[in-house]
Order: sequence, then C-alpha cells, then structure tokens
Amino acid sequence: MAEQQDHVNGEAFKRELTGLVPQLRAFARNMCGNPAMADDLAQEAMLKAWKSRESYKPGTNLRAWVFTILRNHFYSEQRRAWRSQPLDQEVAESTIMATDDPSAPLEVLALRNALQKLPDEQREAVILVGAGGLAYDEAAAICGCAVGTIKSRVSRGRRSLEEMLNDGSTGFSDDDTVRAGDAFGDIMAEAAALQRTP
Amino acid sequence: MTDQKGPPPQDRRERRVRSSKIGRQLKRLYDDVINEDVPDDFLKLLEEADKKRSSSEKT
Repeated sequence: MAEQQDHVNGEAFKRELTGLVPQLRAFARNMCGNPAMADDLAQEAMLKAWKSRESYKPGTNLRAWVFTILRNHFYSEQRRAWRSQPLDQEVAESTIMATDDPSAPLEVLALRNALQKLPDEQREAVILVGAGGLAYDEAAAICGCAVGTIKSRVSRGRRSLEEMLNDGSTGFSDDDTVRAGDAFGDIMAEAAALQRTP
Repeated sequence: MTDQKGPPPQDRRERRVRSSKIGRQLKRLYDDVINEDVPDDFLKLLEEADKKRSSSEKT
C-alpha cells in the first residue's frame, strides 16, 4: 500500500480544485437558480476548500469533499438572518431573466422553474444524481444521509417535477414544439389583451 | 382539478417517457453550465488566496 502524504501538496491540490470549477458552478447554479448568486457560492466554497485543505485526505474523493463544502455553505447562507428578500422571489425573478437563448425550448425554462420549487433536499438529490450523474452513494455522502434516503428523494423529486410540468404550474407549457421566442409573442399578445379589459 | 383514481395506461407510458425526457433535460441544465467558459474570477481566486495566506501566518 502506497504511503499517504502527511500533508496536501498545495500545487496539486490547486490544480485539482480548479479542475472541479465547472462542476461546482453547475451544482451551485442548479441549487440557486440565480447565476450570480451561484458563482458567489461556488467561489466561497473554493476558498473554504483551499483554507481547509489540510483536512482533506489525498487520494480520496475530492469532488465529494468540495461539493460537501459547497452544500454546507449553501445551507448556512440560507439561514442568515439578514436576507431581506425571500429566496423564492429573487430566484424566480433572476431565473426568468437568466435565459439569453431565445431558441431555448420552453420546457427547459419550465424545468428550471420547477426545479427551484422543489424542497431543497429533493432538489439537491435530483441535481446530483439526475443532472450531474453522480452515483447514489457519492450523493449520499455529500448530503450526509443514507443511500436509500437519496434514492427516495430523487424519485420523489422527479415525480414532482413531472407533475409540475404536466399541470403547467411553472407557468410554461410542456409542449416541446414551442420555442421561447414564439412564446414571448403569445405572452405579449395576451398581456396586451388583458390590459384592454377593465 | 380532476379527481382521478389512477392514471390510465397511456398516462403511465407517458410518465415513463417524460421521466427519461426529464432526465435528459436535467442533464442538459447541468452540462450547459459545465460547458460555459470559466469566469476569470475563479481562476484568480486561489492565487489571491495564496498571496494573502503567505503574508499572514496561521498560528
């Protein structure tokens, strides 16, 4: 068995951590909905990971270790008393504005919205396993729960997403022939019609 | 809202289709971010942190 390093090699750690940035951003973005907030979260997690690198065991799963730090930070930010705006509102506003791509299918926008409506523990399970493709046990380690718990959260989360997309409660239809650009035309026409009625 | 005893067979099939469709869409949400260019902030972050650390020793 190879001898384990007594301490973390800073340069190697930095390289590995930097290599994880795209995934950290992806996890954060889908947890928060808001791209700017997500990047702040991801950067703070990186800093924390760097500062506590001595507690990381070289050769073990760095992604799980850093994702755990990100997740913990997400939840501690949520608990902060000074949040002036409710999380949902901020997320909803910026989620809708975050789309630059007018050809993005409405169903993708609908899914994004629906994801933000899931309870946190279902959303994180769905993101890690369903979106990120992590194994159940890696996701369970990150979320600090049993594998069975993750499995049931993923399945409940996905079922809720389906229901939300089916009944249009995210405000978008599930019709994949509709493009965002087309839909805006419809929405504006509807809005104009509504304004005409007293 | 309609009261249903259980989904008819066609709905169940649709649910299965949707769940794999949702799976693909979820993956797309995630991969879209992974494929983005990493903002400079991130790349500079650890360099900055390293500089600060070497100027103030941890006890």
